[in-house]
Amino acid sequence: MGATFVVTLREAFEAALLLGIVYSYLERVGARAQYHWVTLGGVLGLLASVLAGLAVTFLSGPLLDLGPDLVAAAVMFFAVALLTWHGWWMRQHARAVKGDVQRRIDEARATQRLWIVALVAFTGVFREGAETVLFLWGLMSQTTISSWGGVTGGVLGVVVAAVLGWAIFRGGRQLSLPRFFAATSVLLVVVAAGLFSTGIGKLIGLGFIPAGDPLWDSSGLLDDHSVVGGFLSGLTGYRARPTAPEVIGYVVYLVGAGLLLFTPRTAAPATDAARPSAGALS
Amino acid sequence: MTRRLTAAFLVAIAAVVVATAARAADPKEIPITIENNRFSPEEIKVKAGEPFVLVVTNKDKAPEEFESKDLRIEKVVPAGKTMKIRVRALKPGTYPFVGEYHEKTAKGRIIAE
Repeated sequence: MGATFVVTLREAFEAALLLGIVYSYLERVGARAQYHWVTLGGVLGLLASVLAGLAVTFLSGPLLDLGPDLVAAAVMFFAVALLTWHGWWMRQHARAVKGDVQRRIDEARATQRLWIVALVAFTGVFREGAETVLFLWGLMSQTTISSWGGVTGGVLGVVVAAVLGWAIFRGGRQLSLPRFFAATSVLLVVVAAGLFSTGIGKLIGLGFIPAGDPLWDSSGLLDDHSVVGGFLSGLTGYRARPTAPEVIGYVVYLVGAGLLLFTPRTAAPATDAARPSAGALS
Repeated sequence: MTRRLTAAFLVAIAAVVVATAARAADPKEIPITIENNRFSPEEIKVKAGEPFVLVVTNKDKAPEEFESKDLRIEKVVPAGKTMKIRVRALKPGTYPFVGEYHEKTAKGRIIAE
């Protein structure tokens, strides 16, 4: 039971985390009325997962040998782009809501881009969804009495992941607005960097990118087969024996996204003109 | 915005498909079976420096996920199905793999020499 619990908790946690963040994000920008976008994205992600599970189970042929891997890699890079975009968008809002206009976000503007939130929810659920569906399905199809513990564990894993997502949602509401934006931005960037590097790893596994020797081996310190290591590898892209392309991808993404999302923006030209030019001195 | 994202997505898929098509022809196939949540054989010897294909047949009634962290492979093999898994050219060494859904029993290793 413990083993199946860990598997589904690990697979479902990322989805729960992302759902928790986007729900609380909507709440924080005063767009509670738009929750249904996230719900829609999540439900569609779940449907797509079931369909993908069915496809893998009942179809066959050369397409299935490589197809799921290509879809998985594409979904990862797509999710990276999406999370970066979402972070950038949050940053715009974070600046807009400073001061007395808190919670008075331009609803129209928010609505216009809510499909991003729906897509984040969709990819969040879909990324590991098919695997989780197949795993649970497999557990249930082994209908011996001893397997019921496994089924219970598997279902519990999903439930606990959902509860954690809910806790993140509640916690997100307690934070002050700037802190909320800062914390979630950092979290999203780390998750996205992990996804980016995992996507590169996937392409290495398929032979599209040369691997080379691992740059280091930290499996003695934290093995990525262990429970904690497995969680970190799912969430942050941790690898005990990373290769150069993965490490470079990780660092390049972190630096790039950091520059995009965390550097103080040099003010827009209009305000520049109004201020005495500080830049002229340097 | 939607269009740009969709375009980026399609370009990514196209790039991978082109890369697939451009790759060299059929590498050696190595059969491996999953039965009673165990791999058979549990030890596979391959030539270092040559890519190969694992042909994984799952004889169990439940799906299994062939996973190797070192090889960066994760692949679900549904019950009663056979899947082909391409493996890149390996440097000499030992590369463990597991069946992620039954990690306690389904274990094996690839030895490249």
